Amino acid sequence: MKQVIVVGSPNSGKSLLFNRLTGLNHKVANFPGVTVDIGSGQLRHHTDVSLVDYPGVYSLNPISGEERIAVDAFREALQDPGLSAVLCVVDATRLEKGLMFTLQVMEACRRAGKPVVLAANMLDVLQRHKLKLDVQGLAAEMGVDIVAVSARRGDGLDQLADLLVSDLPVAAAVDNKIIAQDNNPYREQAELLTRRFGMQGDLLIRAQSRADRFFLHTLTGGVSFFLIMFVVFQSIFAWAAPLMGGVEALLAWSAALVLPLLGESMVHDFVKDALFGGVGAFLVFVPQIFILTLVVGLLEDTGYLARAAVICHRPLRLFGLTGKSFVPMLSGMACAIPGIYAARTIDSPRKRWLTYLAIPLMPCSARLPVYALLIAAFIPAQTALGGLVGLQGLAMFGVYLFGIVVGLLVTAMVSRTGAADQADPPFVLEMPPYRLPALIPLLRSAWSRSKHFVTKAGPVIFWVSVVVWILGYFPNHGTDLGSSWLGWLGQFIEPVFTPLGLDWKYGVAILASFLAREVFVGTLGTLLGIENAADNVLSLSDRVQESGLSIASGFALLAFFAIAVQCVSTLAILRRESGSWRLPVQMFISYGLLAYAVAWLFFTVISA
Amino acid sequence: MANTLWQLKRGESAVLDAFTEDFSPVYRDRMMELGFHPGARVSCVVAPRMGAPKLFQVDNAVYSLEKAVAALITVQGAGE
Repeated sequence: MKQVIVVGSPNSGKSLLFNRLTGLNHKVANFPGVTVDIGSGQLRHHTDVSLVDYPGVYSLNPISGEERIAVDAFREALQDPGLSAVLCVVDATRLEKGLMFTLQVMEACRRAGKPVVLAANMLDVLQRHKLKLDVQGLAAEMGVDIVAVSARRGDGLDQLADLLVSDLPVAAAVDNKIIAQDNNPYREQAELLTRRFGMQGDLLIRAQSRADRFFLHTLTGGVSFFLIMFVVFQSIFAWAAPLMGGVEALLAWSAALVLPLLGESMVHDFVKDALFGGVGAFLVFVPQIFILTLVVGLLEDTGYLARAAVICHRPLRLFGLTGKSFVPMLSGMACAIPGIYAARTIDSPRKRWLTYLAIPLMPCSARLPVYALLIAAFIPAQTALGGLVGLQGLAMFGVYLFGIVVGLLVTAMVSRTGAADQADPPFVLEMPPYRLPALIPLLRSAWSRSKHFVTKAGPVIFWVSVVVWILGYFPNHGTDLGSSWLGWLGQFIEPVFTPLGLDWKYGVAILASFLAREVFVGTLGTLLGIENAADNVLSLSDRVQESGLSIASGFALLAFFAIAVQCVSTLAILRRESGSWRLPVQMFISYGLLAYAVAWLFFTVISA
Repeated sequence: MANTLWQLKRGESAVLDAFTEDFSPVYRDRMMELGFHPGARVSCVVAPRMGAPKLFQVDNAVYSLEKAVAALITVQGAGE
């Protein structure tokens, strides 16, 4: 099978082009020792060609550990006889920077005897602003095949695919007749080529700067930042509500259809309590995970997140972090794992380590079902300010803020305990252009993330629900939960949870949730389902209300879940990224103790 | 008159002169790859208050630089 490597600078639209060319058959591979995200997939309509997407780098002269891994992997791949070509993606609206990288790639490919194809992306932006790129002139001057493409619109993709499967010549020698004085032989050449063949004028930059003056202004920037973040959290409830209602109605309809067919039997009880009660309760929250991923993706796609990182830089420095910590922390709100991977972009090892400490405290989507359940149980579904603000959305904003504040306080304390980096890398961040989000790929990505969540967490929740159901159903066939095996076990551990005002059922659900947070909802669904002998599948929040859980205990539970690291996957990824078990083990124990202490404080203060 | 990049006001541009000795050579090379090389014309496009990072345009790209970086780059001929 032929192999084509896709390389390019960050923000060149490389990943979108890769997904377009492969039809989103993305998978992740690991490299020995340290992980590097490398996606691979088959070229559409050419199953004998595989495309490998490398992480975006600015230069083949790496300055950080992560860049070095990516560059070394690229250089190693060039020696692979199976490699048929290198596809270099540049942003045609910022040609100079892209060409400087391309010239480096061409030189590396020439030495390795490999062909290079250049994809000049963002053709749609050029055309929209009536700007021109002399593709033929540039190709002739550089001695390389160039295809102008729009990864967003799909222009030029067939031509590019045809070129990639054809027999290509080895990369031409880079013309070194112009040698710069600063030991960078490519810079002046890239400048010259851009001046001759690239778009003229700075129309796009001027438009971008006008928007930046608003979004980064001391006053309007701050206000718009808070408004945007507020809308994000409101949307999780407001947009997801109809979808969640739909899933709930579908489950209730299925239960009403299936349960009478099963008669009075153990199978009936199992299907009602473990399947509809346990797994069903978890499925209801999947639309919220979909919406959260979609909204974070929308923000990423517009280019706003880079501005948010600039806005947050100064405040985050107070807590020992950097503006570059913002994106990993925000990604951590969808899931800690991509957040931990995103922290690789932080070039300071110490600040990256501090960001690792903060990410597991970000309110991730696995916490969302727990928060949503408790908020729905205790906060009325009312609106304020003429319907503009929903109280439940406001409560969700508050819980999210709580997790973030705890995360920042932890990093602030820890950052003051050690010495700062001797040569802390400077804060330099490229501002990507503002772009309209590409909705279809975003929807696909949110769908794939939700599907991944269901397929990953679903089996765990199913088996935990089965075990919990068996322990709760026997030996008295579900007639009395308190005298079941689970009841006996639960009452044994109950003293640990009594100081939080929680009975043994919540204690069992918390213990089960140490596998993964979302298991809490399924376990509680099964337990309260067994307890509720009626055939109707009530919403879990109704059953929580009926269980007699106090508001103080509800808040204690919220605080506990906001802080404790109940996620085996997060701990495993932290071990891989940090290189030892030390950080995840310390984090698991210390955050667990902190979670318990804060939950107790909440319960005690609110009860009083 | 601005002597360092950080002293440029919004709308002002200048020619980059040099990196001071305190600037790490590793990061200096990366800055030059990004376009911040001696002789390059750099403009300040956004300058928020309260010490927040400023935005500088060089070639056809815009970068956010904090004070700790921009104050270590000297410029000449600053003006509107």
